[in-house]
Amino acid sequence: MNQRAFIAANVAFATAVVGGITAAWGYWNGRTDHVLGIGLAVALGGIGFGLVSWAKYLDLDEHVVQQREPLQTTPAEREDFAEEVEMTSATVGRRRVLTALFAGSMGALVVGFVGPIGSLGPKPRGELNRTGWGPGTRLVTTEGEPIAVDEGTFDQLATVFPEGEVGRDDSQVVLLRMQPDVLSERTIERGAIDGWVAYSKICTHAGCSVGLFGIDNRPPEVVRQLVCPCHQSAFDPTDSARPVGGPAPRSLPQLALEVDADGFLVARDDFDRPVGPITWDQA
Amino acid sequence: MARGLVERYVDSVAGRTGGGTWLTKNLRKVFPSHFSFLWGELALYSFVVLVATGTYLTFFFEGSQEQVIYDGSYAPLRGEEVSAAYESVMRLSYEVKGGLFIRQMHHWAALVFVAAIALHMARVFFTGAFRRPRDLNWYVGVTLLILALGAGFTGYSLPDDLLSGTGLRITNAIILSIPLIGERLAFLVFGGEWPGTDIIGRLYPVHILLIPLLIFGLLGLHLALVWRQKHTQFPGPGRTEHNVVGERVWPSFAMKSIGLMFLTAGVIAAMGAVFEINPVWLYGPYDSGAATSLAQPDWYIGFLEGSLRLMPPWETRIGGFVINNIFYAGVLVAGVIFGGLYAVPIIERWLTGDDGEHHLLDRPRDAPYRTAFGAASITGMTILFVGGAQDLVARTFDMSVGHVTSILQVLFLVAPPIAFYVTVRTCRALSARPGPERTERRVPVERAADGGYGVPYDDADIDWMVEGGAAPGHFDEITEHAAVRGPHRHASTPRPGSDGDGDSGATAVDAGAEAES
Repeated sequence: MNQRAFIAANVAFATAVVGGITAAWGYWNGRTDHVLGIGLAVALGGIGFGLVSWAKYLDLDEHVVQQREPLQTTPAEREDFAEEVEMTSATVGRRRVLTALFAGSMGALVVGFVGPIGSLGPKPRGELNRTGWGPGTRLVTTEGEPIAVDEGTFDQLATVFPEGEVGRDDSQVVLLRMQPDVLSERTIERGAIDGWVAYSKICTHAGCSVGLFGIDNRPPEVVRQLVCPCHQSAFDPTDSARPVGGPAPRSLPQLALEVDADGFLVARDDFDRPVGPITWDQA
Repeated sequence: MARGLVERYVDSVAGRTGGGTWLTKNLRKVFPSHFSFLWGELALYSFVVLVATGTYLTFFFEGSQEQVIYDGSYAPLRGEEVSAAYESVMRLSYEVKGGLFIRQMHHWAALVFVAAIALHMARVFFTGAFRRPRDLNWYVGVTLLILALGAGFTGYSLPDDLLSGTGLRITNAIILSIPLIGERLAFLVFGGEWPGTDIIGRLYPVHILLIPLLIFGLLGLHLALVWRQKHTQFPGPGRTEHNVVGERVWPSFAMKSIGLMFLTAGVIAAMGAVFEINPVWLYGPYDSGAATSLAQPDWYIGFLEGSLRLMPPWETRIGGFVINNIFYAGVLVAGVIFGGLYAVPIIERWLTGDDGEHHLLDRPRDAPYRTAFGAASITGMTILFVGGAQDLVARTFDMSVGHVTSILQVLFLVAPPIAFYVTVRTCRALSARPGPERTERRVPVERAADGGYGVPYDDADIDWMVEGGAAPGHFDEITEHAAVRGPHRHASTPRPGSDGDGDSGATAVDAGAEAES
């Protein structure tokens, strides 16, 4: 008999008793951060260790041989089964029309349940191609403040929404002001104003929010990038947010900007392309 | 002799169900033992922990996206608008005494559960245990793996925090990218355009009812098949394709296994008590306009995260339609991986033409191509996994994310074939090298006074290992087909060449009279 395992089992169970009591003490004294959990862990682990030691002490490391029963079907069994199947087709399957009607009724039942499954969600009716932006919609911050065209700091990112729809998911936009001379011609053509550019904030890869803006000032040239934190797609904000790295296949749609009579930034129109990851129907 | 309480109750049930002989027979069932056979048990016991802790959590969790103002004891969030689901998780973590401990235990158990399944599957694969007749159980097992991943992902998403919300958003994008039905399907699952107000309320019953129910059912089938088909064993003295050598269920296997259950629960409890996991208060509530950097999901989704990050920006146009690259990265890659797992027994049968029953396991080195294929697959998965954290890698090694991505993309194509080649060569070298025969018992080695090593037994005690016969007194047959391996030898029977000391460690196994069949 294994004396060491015997002692180990005794010690383990005794420790488990201490653990359980510690856990209870911890709970009543409000020490639920660590004491409760550690106490329970000691109780559980002690019981486990005790049981294994007990088994060891009993020296049950036995080697017993048991024969396997054959698993394969014997020819006799197979014949028996075939006979059973034959009998079924001779009795139940005799009425062809009845069988067909039964199958048809089951099929109709399935068809009948398609409707309720369809109720789980509405049919898409172009929602994915529209956002909250329209001609003259003001850009407002998450606090609802409009943005004056002459107030921005350069190279600072802000998240803006259409006025009255702050938080609307498909309309989130990153607004940036950069020195006008760093912007490419097409970026200006597509609606940058006075160094202000606005892009959809939804990554064209998998739809995360493109929330990181970085500037690399190291020579030879300054590099500005918008980066999606999820899968590290990078876009060039000075050139219509074209993808410059990572898995995103398309540029972030640009929101054409204008200035309204009060000197605040407004959208010229909705995006000219669907925002977010492209779907089958959005070629 | 007075009958014990347990005996009387067992008898009263057996006596009403006709289960008398069945019971005794199954208590005597033999299980072979090897450390690698424990992974499946580990998975089973982490599932037990998951069900126990998860049930507790359902008493507090609220599966609703209704917006409420947080008013709990975590000061930085007070006054913020959060969903009811997030609020209930915060309450559970901060106000409910011991709630955080149970929650962390649940999360750790989920991570251990999937890890144990993966290790168990690797063991089954590398030893060829998936061959007939156990190909059937392999399909059940792969389905269980997928269900475990589904359970993990739905549970991870429930707190409606910024990290998991971002994961759901990506899921939404992947569904949208499916050709033909993507948009319709995404609207069905999410109840409309992202984010909607339904998804948390829908994931909740899926997580606590639908998936657990399926796991229960398939787990029962999985174990029933193991029981029915009997466990595989490694080749060794006295072990054949027609027998099982090991310990009986009662008491030795059961005692150790139940011990393992408590040890598993104990370790998970210790992790839940000491290591913080998924601190949703640090991530904050889900806010569609925000995103976090260093956004890594739970480890078992890492390969998909990596596949999304490493896939080049390819877009396919067909007629007037388009396939986004996340369809390849998300749906196709997952389809190839799980489809491939299901096809493992079929492919091996097709390649080897071997449709015979196998109850003896292969040593990985003896099936070099299978082992190499497994090694190549694991290499590919590992690169995808690392790709899921390529920003962390770039930060650690002070490289650009773009460079790390390119390196990993090249590695993904190059490394698996290299791993394949190296593994085949290694296996061949190993199996060509003569090694000691597998032995039934570990032999203690002692260091002698002169510095040499030796076995402290006399020849008589170890010659059974060399002969490949049965250990004196350590084998016993519990069958009438004793002829298969010769009549059982009791320790008292002197063996040729034995000096009579052979009975030192003998256990008398008195089961020979009761036949299994």
